[in-house]
Amino acid sequence: MSTQDKVTIHQLPTGVPGLDEIVGGGLPEFSFNIIAGAPGSGKTTLAHQFVFANATPERPALYFTVLGESTIKMLRYQQQYTFFDPAKLPDSIRFLNLSQVVLEKDLGAVLEEITKEVEKANPAVVVVDSFRTMVRKPQSDMDLQSFIQRLALFLASWQATTFLIGEYAEEELRDNPIFTVADGLFWLRQTAERNSIVRKLQIIKLRGQDSVPGLHTFRITDAGVQAFSRTFGLSGHAKNPPSHRRLSFGIAELDKMLGGGVREGDSVLVAGSSGTGKSVLATQFIAEGIRQGEPGIVAVFEERPQAYAERAASLGLDLETPQKDGKLTILYLRPLDLSVDETMHSILDAVQKIGAKRLVIDSLAGFEMALSPGFRADFRESLYRMIFALTGIGVTILSTVEVDESFTEFPFSTYSISFLTDDIVRLRYVSIDGQLRKIMVVIKMRGGNHAKDIREYEITSKGVVILGKRLTNYQGLISGIPVRSDRPDSTAEPSLDTGIEHKP
Amino acid sequence: MTTPPKIRDLAHRLVACEAVATKTTEPRKSATLRVYEKLRDGLSEFAGVAGFESIASRALALARTEAPSLDAVRVSSDGELHGLERDLGEIEHPIDIDKDRAGESQAGEGEIILIARILGLLLLFLGEAIVLSLLRVTWPGAAFDDRNSENGRNE
Repeated sequence: MSTQDKVTIHQLPTGVPGLDEIVGGGLPEFSFNIIAGAPGSGKTTLAHQFVFANATPERPALYFTVLGESTIKMLRYQQQYTFFDPAKLPDSIRFLNLSQVVLEKDLGAVLEEITKEVEKANPAVVVVDSFRTMVRKPQSDMDLQSFIQRLALFLASWQATTFLIGEYAEEELRDNPIFTVADGLFWLRQTAERNSIVRKLQIIKLRGQDSVPGLHTFRITDAGVQAFSRTFGLSGHAKNPPSHRRLSFGIAELDKMLGGGVREGDSVLVAGSSGTGKSVLATQFIAEGIRQGEPGIVAVFEERPQAYAERAASLGLDLETPQKDGKLTILYLRPLDLSVDETMHSILDAVQKIGAKRLVIDSLAGFEMALSPGFRADFRESLYRMIFALTGIGVTILSTVEVDESFTEFPFSTYSISFLTDDIVRLRYVSIDGQLRKIMVVIKMRGGNHAKDIREYEITSKGVVILGKRLTNYQGLISGIPVRSDRPDSTAEPSLDTGIEHKP
Repeated sequence: MTTPPKIRDLAHRLVACEAVATKTTEPRKSATLRVYEKLRDGLSEFAGVAGFESIASRALALARTEAPSLDAVRVSSDGELHGLERDLGEIEHPIDIDKDRAGESQAGEGEIILIARILGLLLLFLGEAIVLSLLRVTWPGAAFDDRNSENGRNE
C-alpha cells in the first residue's frame, strides 16, 4: 500500500493561538476528545474557541450543557472574550441543555436525545459540558462503557469532531473507560506557586499525529486561552546553516579580542559585577548591528524601554530613531508571573516582525525574577531551550549576567549556564595603585580563536573604551588584587570613568 | 424600578406577533401567554427547564412590584405559568401597541410587564446580540431592531 492509498486526516484549527503547533498542525477531523482539568482551568473557554473557529451555518456546532454548567451564566462570561461572535448564534452554534433528561432518565435516554439533535443539525462539532456530570449517577461499568463507546461511534460516524469536558483527577486516568475510548486527551492544570498561578497544558494522547510532548504553559486573557509550545513554535522552522560571518561590537579592540567579532548565531554571555558596564556593552552591540543594517531586539526586565533608550542616548547611541523605523524593538516584559515560553513568544513575535538578527537579554537575573516562582526552578532548562531555538534560526544572542565579585574566585555566572553559551566575555573590577579599575577578558569562544589578553577598559561618554595594550606588568589580575611585576607597564594611566550613569 | 420602555416595547411586539397569528393551536390562550410559552420552550431547550424556571420566577417577582394583579400568578417547577388564564373573549382582541400603551387593562398590562421582565433579565445576563438571535429563532418574521422600537418606529 503506497502512501497515496492512505487516508488523509484533515486537521481543524483549534482556534487557540499556539495550540495548533502543539497538537501537530490542528485537531484531527472527526476525533473524539476529552478536555480534562480542575475547575477554573480553562476547559470551557478552550472548547468555545474551537467551536467559534469551526462552526458554520452549513456544519454547525452543538454545545450540550448538562448539570453544573448554567448556559446563561456560561454565555454571560464567555461573550466577554474577543473570539466570541454573537452573530454565530444560533445558526452556526446552538446551545442545548440536557439537564432534565440526565436528571430524570438513564444514559440510554441521554444518548437518544443527543442522537436526535445530531441527526437534526448535522453538526461538524459537538461539545458536552460537562460530561462528568452526565455520568455521575451510579452506573454499572458495563453501562458506562457501552454508553461511551456508542456515543463515540455515533458521533464519529456522523462526521462530528467532539469534545467532552470533565473535571477529572489524574488518578482516574488508569481506570476510567472514557480515556481509553478518546482519540485525544487534553489535560489542563492550574497550580498556585507562592503568589502566582501557573497554568500548564498537556496533550496526553492524540491519535493519528505527532503532538509536542510535555507540559506547555498557557494563559487566559481577554482573547481566551493562549498556549505556548515548549518548542516555541519553531519545530517546523528550518535551521540556518552555520555562518562564518562575524558581528562587530562597534568596539574595534574588543572585536580583535574576539578574533574579528562574534560569530553570527552565537550565544554570548557578558558577565560582571554591578557597574562593570554589561548593559553598556550590550547596548553598543545592538546599536552597531542597527548601524550595519541588522535589526535588533532588546528584552529588558529591570527598566522601562524609555529609560533604556535615554541611557543609550547618554552614550551617544540613538535608539529612538531605529525604533520608529522598525529596526529595533525594546521589549519590556512585565514582571513576576511570566513563563519562559511566554517570554519567548513575545521575543519571537518581535524577531519575526522586524527580522531581527541580534537579541540582547538584559539581564538574566531580571529575566529570572520576572518569571513566576514555579518556573524559576526550571530556569536553566528553559534558557537552554530558548537559546537553542533562537540561535537555530540565526539570531545572535547577547545575555548579560551579574556575578558576585569575589577576590578569591572568578565565576563566569551565578547560574552555571556557561555551557549554554558559545562565547563568554568577563568584566571585573581590579584594585590597582589605589584605584578600582576595570578589566575585560574573553574567556571562551566556541569555534574560534580569541585573544588571551586581559585588557583594561573605561566607560566613557562614548561607551566602553578599551585602553592601551594588555596589562603585562601585573600578576594575578583576575584575582582582583594583582601584584605589580617587574615587567614594564605598556598601558597609559587610566582616567576616571566619566560618570555615565549605568545600571547597577 | 419600572421596566424600561424599550424592553416593554419589545414585549409588546412579541405579543403583537402572536396576536396576528390568528390560527393558533391554543385558541383559549392569550397572545401573551403564548409568548410566555414560546419563551419557555426556547429557553428550556437552551438553558434547561430549571434555568428558565429561575428566570421566570425572578421576572414574576419583579413584575409584581409594578403590577399587583400578578400576585396570584405562580411559576411551577417546570416553568409553567399558573393563574394568568382568562376568558378568550376578554383578551383575544387585536393588540395595537399604541393603544395598549395608552391604557390597556390592568391585567393585560401585568402580562406585558411579566414578558418584559423576562426579556429584561435575559438582556441583562446575555446581552442584546444573543437575546435577539434567540428570539429570531422563535419569531423568525419579527423585526426587533431599533428602527421599529418605540423611539425609532417608522410612522
